Amino acid sequence: MTNPLRDPRDRRLPRVPDPCALVVFGVTGDLARKKLIPAVYDLGNRGLLPPGFVLLGFARRDWGVGEFESLARDAAQQHSRTEFREDVWRRIADSLCFLPGSFDDNDAFDALAAKLIELEDTHGIKGNAAFYLSIPPPAFPVVLDQMARTKMADNAERGGWRRVVVEKPFGHDLESARELNTLVDTVFTAKDVFRIDHYLGKETVQNLLALRFANTLFEPIWNSHFVDSVQITMAEDVGIGGRAGFYDNAGAARDVLQNHLLQLLALTAMEEPVSFDAESIRIEKLKALNAISLPEDKKSYAIRGQYDQGWLAGQRVPAYRDEKDVPKDSRTETYAAVRLGVETRRWAGVPFYLRTGKRLPRRVTEIAVVFKRAPHLPFDATDTVELGHNQLVVRVQPDEGVTLRFGSKVPGSAMEVRDVSMDFLYGESFTESSPEAYERLILDVLLGDQTLFPRNEEVDASWQVIDPLEAFWAGSEPHKYRAGEWGPTEADDMLARDGRVWRRP
Amino acid sequence: MATTLWDTTGTDIVNALLAERRTAGALASGLALSLVVVVDEKRVQEAETAATVAAAAHPCRLLIVVRRSVDADNRLDAEVQVGGRLGPTEAVVMRMYGRLGLHAESVVLPLLAPDAPVVTWWHGEPPEQIATDALGVLANRRITDCARAADPRAALKRRAEDFAPGDTDLAWTRTTPWRALLASALDAADVRPSGATVGAEAANPSAALLCGWLNSRLGVKAGVDETAGPGITSATIDATRADGTPYGVSISRPDGRLATLCRGDEDERQLPLPRRELGDLLAEELRRMDPDGVYAEALAAFTGVKGIATRPAARTHVWRDPAWAEAGASS
Repeated sequence: MTNPLRDPRDRRLPRVPDPCALVVFGVTGDLARKKLIPAVYDLGNRGLLPPGFVLLGFARRDWGVGEFESLARDAAQQHSRTEFREDVWRRIADSLCFLPGSFDDNDAFDALAAKLIELEDTHGIKGNAAFYLSIPPPAFPVVLDQMARTKMADNAERGGWRRVVVEKPFGHDLESARELNTLVDTVFTAKDVFRIDHYLGKETVQNLLALRFANTLFEPIWNSHFVDSVQITMAEDVGIGGRAGFYDNAGAARDVLQNHLLQLLALTAMEEPVSFDAESIRIEKLKALNAISLPEDKKSYAIRGQYDQGWLAGQRVPAYRDEKDVPKDSRTETYAAVRLGVETRRWAGVPFYLRTGKRLPRRVTEIAVVFKRAPHLPFDATDTVELGHNQLVVRVQPDEGVTLRFGSKVPGSAMEVRDVSMDFLYGESFTESSPEAYERLILDVLLGDQTLFPRNEEVDASWQVIDPLEAFWAGSEPHKYRAGEWGPTEADDMLARDGRVWRRP
Repeated sequence: MATTLWDTTGTDIVNALLAERRTAGALASGLALSLVVVVDEKRVQEAETAATVAAAAHPCRLLIVVRRSVDADNRLDAEVQVGGRLGPTEAVVMRMYGRLGLHAESVVLPLLAPDAPVVTWWHGEPPEQIATDALGVLANRRITDCARAADPRAALKRRAEDFAPGDTDLAWTRTTPWRALLASALDAADVRPSGATVGAEAANPSAALLCGWLNSRLGVKAGVDETAGPGITSATIDATRADGTPYGVSISRPDGRLATLCRGDEDERQLPLPRRELGDLLAEELRRMDPDGVYAEALAAFTGVKGIATRPAARTHVWRDPAWAEAGASS
């Protein structure tokens, strides 16, 4: 029976999840403190948490709930997006739980299973629980085995739903990703597995779908007849921080290209889904990912780089090989640029240039669709010297919005055409400060909406793109670039060879 | 940045606004709507504060119209602000003296943001008949606030009789958190409702609308129990589960801040349910530009006025001259 108080027209009423527990493994880690706990607070502050909600922390600390509360409180106070209000916090604090234990400790997991059963009575969670694995990948199998052993992951066991949230990396190559997927999917069922790619929770990424499919203006020119090329950039100004152990084994391609950039490519290149439900969007994204082709000439069109020492934002920064815990002879790439094709009728012949790197001049993520030049210009050649390609740029972060670049006459008596930008700043027409990606994604997990989560077939398809690149790069020396530059010169040569240049984001 | 214009004309205001926008650069170029506020001199400050909060969520061109005495000589004073104390918005505060106040639209029309929706908000006693105010006729959405009327229940009745799709009332906006809690309580269980009660201070229009809503959605008689307030203090739904066992939902908020929620056989739960500020209410109203059919049904259910949802959305301006009333009185 449907709820008589709900009406699709009544859009003032928010969707609130069922009473449930959110169990966070590794709750003392960076991600939990900076993103998860603040996101939970923000949801609470916006009235989007169910009345019976429990945040259950699990970590290897000899703690009681008191210590956990003070950690969570600090996290919420420092990193939450919305204003910190004492009465909202009190309510969340009342429903905090903490269980100490290491992942190989059977007793701790038995205690966790017992706690979840106890919460059914005390908080009315009716067996609903989401498990957030905020832990290093090597610990996954151990934790998942524990969940299987205690039947914690079994929907049928207690009624209600059991869901699991997995952070990237989803494996380090196709084989390991498949192993991990099989493991997760056997412990949980596929529809209960949520793989977080936090980029997909960003407003502008969702806006890309609105831009393409809610307007008549863009879709007719969104193809190889009008598009010259597409550039997708994710640049970071930071180095690797304290993540040397993980990063040196992974590198830029596995860390960013495999997930974020290929997801952005899929959303840019996909056909219109028949409806906006999770399954229809997944089908279209998967088709786009499967249609990706790699360059024949990988030496020229798959460039990787590693930053050398240099100056960035007025400060001297060390070379990658001099970073703490990085081997002096490391051949891990901190920059990757590659030319991909999408072999469909829509995109035949349109190159997709993807690049990502650390220690680049600024932090920026954007999708630039570069259009062909007008086939005929009825002006003198000198009038249009400064006219470039028309561009539609979706700025994902920071400064979320959309820019349209086109030629315009320079005021004056002479006919001169020059590029100008028309800016739509997301925060300007709708400043309702856009929810943090994690806020949206956690809410979706609790509501069971998979639209914004990549499925295992998509992870598979992405590794099929990355594996040949990694195989080609294996054993070779990455090109050097100075920290604070837009990547190695070889990456510029790659575009110059095609008669193009990278857009300066 | 601000420009103050004394004894001015509409054209000068348009030019001043254009000049301010140029000086401010790209500061406020993405306007989502125009918000016209009709307000008395003594409430200008209040309206400005609320509009600033709302504008943080929905950048708009804010046009505040203060109508002064009709008997004074015709005069127009204006203050033009871009990105100043009123937040990320462009604002024009206009004071209209004399019979100019009856033709306020002649100043406002050229100031509306091109092709963006127009919302008119009366911050004060709701108008008797919206069609008599040209500022209401030109709007896509019209926001009144029955809680500010001398007799709120009578004002609700007036709103129902005068209703056209696109009208809304802040008394309705105030019920949203209550409605959200009640709706999610019924998400959790498959039940057949048998009755509902709302507790509120006397003549509270939000309680009336909440009752109307429960009435129209649940098909049961919902009544109001008078309490000392503040505002709505409680809401309960009585229902039975499919197997015949009773399932009750009750929310009580005696202090206007903290609510106790009780549903089915679950434990009691405390949660913050504060009375919201004017700015938050306004921001919620500006989120949607389409007519609120659920409000129309709730209003109809409470007041008993029939067929209001099917009325035409557009109004035609009805000219009513205050001089007629005086002439009528003196003759």
